[in-house]
Amino acid sequence: MVPKGGNNDERLDALFRAYREACPDPDATANFMPVLWQRIEARQTYAFSFRRMAGAFVTAALALSVALGVYMAVPRTQPNSPQAYIEALSEEQPLDAPDIVGPVSLDLSDAASH
Amino acid sequence: MLVDFELIKRAQKGDSAAFNEIVLAYRKRILGKITRLIARPEDVEDVAQEVFLRLYFSLDQLRTPEVFEPWLYRLTVNAAYDHLRKQRRRQEFRISDLSEQQVMMADAAAGGKVERDEQQQKKVREFVDSLLSEVSESDRILLMMKEVEGLSLKELEKVYDVNENALKVRLFRARQRVLKAFGSKEQ
Repeated sequence: MVPKGGNNDERLDALFRAYREACPDPDATANFMPVLWQRIEARQTYAFSFRRMAGAFVTAALALSVALGVYMAVPRTQPNSPQAYIEALSEEQPLDAPDIVGPVSLDLSDAASH
Repeated sequence: MLVDFELIKRAQKGDSAAFNEIVLAYRKRILGKITRLIARPEDVEDVAQEVFLRLYFSLDQLRTPEVFEPWLYRLTVNAAYDHLRKQRRRQEFRISDLSEQQVMMADAAAGGKVERDEQQQKKVREFVDSLLSEVSESDRILLMMKEVEGLSLKELEKVYDVNENALKVRLFRARQRVLKAFGSKEQ
């Protein structure tokens, strides 16, 4: 089986040539073309449905973005919303109430008489 | 070239008849290459169909029809490589799938109908296959394309899209490994 004579390089080359002869180009079966076209069509159908799904997803994402943009752009009026913190505080603590941090008054009359 | 540029251009524009003609022109050659690359006759048609399937969907990426053949061989090399990698994963299960009796019956049937020449050729195929198992799938394919398919370094450069020196180094190393295996099997 392995060609005799020569060095290993030459014998390997001869073996490769023998391999080439041992594996001639085969003929295709009758089913080759029909099966090939079936596979092409199956891949096309898959690619088409994938493209359609991707298209639908992009459209939905776009619509959602537009809706979100509109929602964010419209100024929101909240009639019953609490006022600013300072306003809320002043409402709870009216001005006539005793001031905790009011000015300190020193009575120096006694000190002066001594 | 087995087909003219006009036919390729027509196929690129989606002409199914033109694509059919291309497949018919190259089918036998591609089947032969795959037979020698993967060494599994039962899978050859499947891999060849995969090659033409990839060709169909990538034909529009081919800029110049002049490089059609290297392009087709690149698709063939890639499909064979993918198949060999899958096959390596499956290999462990193949023998264990058959019972001992089934293996004996298959051997007896093969011995009965295969003629002497075919047996000799089968031995050559198995021997070369065992030698090539010493190198990686990619090196096996490269070595096959050079040594068995007879592609020149210039042609391989176009198929692999790498420079000649890199190819020479890879080929040399792969061949050395195969030679080493060849020497050890001879002893």
